[in-house]
Amino acid sequence: MDVVFRRNKDPAGGKGGTTPPMDTRIPRPARAGSSRDRRRILLLDALHAAGLVVVIVLALFPIYWMVSASFKTDNQLFAVPPVWLWKPTLAHYGTVLHDTNMMGALANSLSIAGLTTLLSLLLGVPAGYGIARYQFRFRRDVWFWFVSNWMIIPVVLVIPYFLIATKLHLLGSRWLLVAIYQTFGVPLAVWLMVDQFRSIPAELEEVARIDGTSVFGAFIRIMVPLALPGVVVSGILVALFAWNELLYAQALIPSLASRTAPVVALTFLGGYEVPWGDVMAAGTLIVLPVLAFAALVSRYLVRGLTLGAIK
Amino acid sequence: MSRQRRTLVPWLFILPGFGFLLLVGLYPLVFTFVTSFERYHLDTIYLGTPFVGFDNYIDSLRSSLFIGAMLRTGFFVLVALPVEMVLGLGIAFLLDRPRNDGLRAFTRVILVLPIATTPVVVGLFGALIFNTQFGVVNYLVGLAGIRPVDWLGSPTLAMVSVFALQVWQWTPFVALVMLATLATIPVEMEDAFFLESNSWLKRLRHIRLPYLIPGLTAAAIFQTAYMIKLFDMIYTLTRGGPGESTDLISLQMERLSFRAFDAGQAAAESVIMLVVTLVLSQLYIRFFYREPEA
Amino acid sequence: MHIRSGSGRSLLAAALSAAFLLGSALSAFAAGEREAASSANDYQGTTITVVGLDRPSYAAAQKLTPQFEQQTGIKVNWAIYPYESTLKEETLNFVSQSQQFDVILTDVVWPGVFGQADWVVPVRHFLDNTALTKPDFDMSDFIPIWLKAFTWGDKLLGIPFDSYSGLLYYNKAMLRDAGFSGPPKTWDDLLNVYAPRLTDRAKGVYAFALQSRRGETQSCDAFARFLWPWGGEFLDPATFQPEVTSASAKAGIEFRQKLLQYMPDGIVNDDHGEVVQLLAQGKVAMITEWSSFYATLVDPSQSKIVNDLGVTTEPAGPSGAVPAFGGFAYMVSSQIPEKLQNASWLFIQWLTSKEMAKPLIENGAVVARISADGDPANQAQYPYLAPMVDSWKTTTDIFRPRFPEWPQLSEITSNWGTQIELGQVTVDQGLQNISDEFKKVLGDAGYYSGTKPKIE
Repeated sequence: MDVVFRRNKDPAGGKGGTTPPMDTRIPRPARAGSSRDRRRILLLDALHAAGLVVVIVLALFPIYWMVSASFKTDNQLFAVPPVWLWKPTLAHYGTVLHDTNMMGALANSLSIAGLTTLLSLLLGVPAGYGIARYQFRFRRDVWFWFVSNWMIIPVVLVIPYFLIATKLHLLGSRWLLVAIYQTFGVPLAVWLMVDQFRSIPAELEEVARIDGTSVFGAFIRIMVPLALPGVVVSGILVALFAWNELLYAQALIPSLASRTAPVVALTFLGGYEVPWGDVMAAGTLIVLPVLAFAALVSRYLVRGLTLGAIK
Repeated sequence: MSRQRRTLVPWLFILPGFGFLLLVGLYPLVFTFVTSFERYHLDTIYLGTPFVGFDNYIDSLRSSLFIGAMLRTGFFVLVALPVEMVLGLGIAFLLDRPRNDGLRAFTRVILVLPIATTPVVVGLFGALIFNTQFGVVNYLVGLAGIRPVDWLGSPTLAMVSVFALQVWQWTPFVALVMLATLATIPVEMEDAFFLESNSWLKRLRHIRLPYLIPGLTAAAIFQTAYMIKLFDMIYTLTRGGPGESTDLISLQMERLSFRAFDAGQAAAESVIMLVVTLVLSQLYIRFFYREPEA
Repeated sequence: MHIRSGSGRSLLAAALSAAFLLGSALSAFAAGEREAASSANDYQGTTITVVGLDRPSYAAAQKLTPQFEQQTGIKVNWAIYPYESTLKEETLNFVSQSQQFDVILTDVVWPGVFGQADWVVPVRHFLDNTALTKPDFDMSDFIPIWLKAFTWGDKLLGIPFDSYSGLLYYNKAMLRDAGFSGPPKTWDDLLNVYAPRLTDRAKGVYAFALQSRRGETQSCDAFARFLWPWGGEFLDPATFQPEVTSASAKAGIEFRQKLLQYMPDGIVNDDHGEVVQLLAQGKVAMITEWSSFYATLVDPSQSKIVNDLGVTTEPAGPSGAVPAFGGFAYMVSSQIPEKLQNASWLFIQWLTSKEMAKPLIENGAVVARISADGDPANQAQYPYLAPMVDSWKTTTDIFRPRFPEWPQLSEITSNWGTQIELGQVTVDQGLQNISDEFKKVLGDAGYYSGTKPKIE
């Protein structure tokens, strides 16, 4: 898992004068011999850097384009060829913040995402632990049942949820969304936490148990702290999906005041003309908090995305 | 500790989550199942919802829209998944190569951004960059001397646009999964192999691939499920159009539910899709994925 | 107010009401004002939610709403939705009885959906309430076809607002440069005489653009428009058997296919906004669009052809002129408390009153009042009014059926209509599919078993 550690260990080091055959594709820094080889390695390094730059540009460009469009006047937006340098305008942000309840919607999204994450962890972390650390009948079925919730197509469940919410007078309640979001939050947390708990040596827990700690004491005081990276990562992913969710939020929150940010973004598309600048400003407002968050926690996120992959 | 107790303890951990999911998830599933045998029109619900046997299932399977959407979704997964895999693996190799450390670290941060971008917003800026008149894609294509094309107005190109945005958003995910997977390959294994062969391709096939399979499978399961559920981005980009050319399964079912208000047939389609996805995920898991063994 | 002899209080009341009657006789207008104000006082502090669209008429209405709020003390919330999700939002509102909306926006094709379900209060209920309805709220001043369009069974369900007809908008300069002194009178001329000379693919200039996006735009603007002028219709009114495979229907849809060569590529993805922009930017010479776009096309910030804009009735087909018919009405939800219903009616009454017609038109709205639309001064100032009024005389109120099954039929029409347009199915096959699927929906609804009355 730890890339840096592995690569820092010079593969040729400690082997004295025995130089392994030259790998021409993947250069190994310690093995550069002749100046021709050195030049070739420099060239490969340059290509490598160029490749990385291409990846960065491709990944960033669409986001950059949206953000830049949100600061352009309509004329600059529609200009062909595109304008690359211009004096930014804040007019679209003014429109979005004035005409829609975007700030309120962002606050709604934030609270829903936060509560969803909290509940998913409360439910998913113990479940992941139970599946990872114990042998019992139906264990594999239980695991599959949890994970298969991730496979359900949300469109399918919108009408049933809508009708039951109507009967229970829950329509428009953020708790309704928080509860429904568990259908993807819990499976995600369970999937990741099973792998996380399995990667922790069993002896650590056994030592604690010998010392007289109860099962739950050991879980809370020993296992959860050890599995913290997985917990953080599950939380981040659940929060992302909850923040981004559209279908349920659209159908189950009728009140304009309690709508979530993605739903509000859609309202710009209804007119005869798409107000591109406003739409891009709204998009930027919705995406920027998540991007900042994602970049801040990227180390955890990278780890989280890969937990399911590594045993 | 008695055997009795041992079997009870895990359930104490599992039950809260299990029970909650059952509570939240079971009712709508049962409802969907029951509705799939009824004539259930949301807008004329006051007329009653008579039992109609398998009519909704027959209608679904005879509906060219549903079959079309299923095939289209299948095709989409079959094309997008390998492309994401190959590109993702390529990026993972770039990130794994031990030079340009700063740039590599920066790239890893940047790669997280597409994944985190709200899909609704991806569709929105997609519509801007693929716009025929002032879209930047047409401008860039124009630099290569190609006439502006109508990306979202032509059935094929609209699908290409959806496909491009999907690949843009989720290839980084595959790349990051593969990067971590590459790190699981013991260094000694690779070093030993260097002694025998210096072919990069051979090394990939014999040494790396076996280690990469679990990561690829996890990414494949995750992405297959995601693409079958794909809705938001297409909804804001093309709404499934032009015609039905980008109508993936979720879009077709949404229109059936909320434009034709035919909840009965939508439920039947849901049940069919549920069976398909469950079979699919079982297959994936059986053939590739190592289930958690205690 | 009851008058009984022998009571001083009653006498006083009688005197007051006599004075009131005298006053109203002297000035009906002023009395109306006062009466509405007095009845509205009871609603001070009430808040109503009005469903609207992101279209010019609602922008105008929103702009003028503070006047109503000041007069009555009723607060108005506008809930603006994209057209394509309005029916969904309103239906979910009714099914869930969430009382989210008070003033219901109804497209000309939804009265059946809302009426059969009793989700809205028939207008008669309010008209009979003299304390609520001004005496000068002249119902006979509404265009008759519009009252007919929003009648379901024998009950009028709403008051028309944002009422359109399809019009031919054209770029005078482009037509002149191509040697035409006026717009085409028939679709045949448009295709055979005008289109070839107005299209220059190399320059990216086209004769025509037809909004064809899947959804109501396809089934109404792009499909029904090529049905009626050719003598086609959706259903046989007597038997309810689909008529879309008739020779005349085929001729119309085949004509549409021929016209495609003179339109920009990708038209099947274009909705109203895109097509209006194509005309406004000088990229196409002619479009057939709703009357509401006049406001957009003469707005210098959105249109480059303000001075070259021509507007006239839609061309005639082989069986005459049947311009597209569409528009909206406001209705009162039957699920809300009486007080809110009354406040909602006060709003509808204000918005659709004779006095408001002119200010609304000036702010870009389209109204269905004869006194405003037919007024020569208005017609001179707003050239879309005369052809619009003319169009309403020749079109049909069942341009699209308005029974509860229409949303399903619309889906079917738009699915196959777009596929025909894209060339993914042949005209014959597409129309046959529409016909088959219509039959199934109408059969399931019970129209063929003889029990259900056949009301379009």
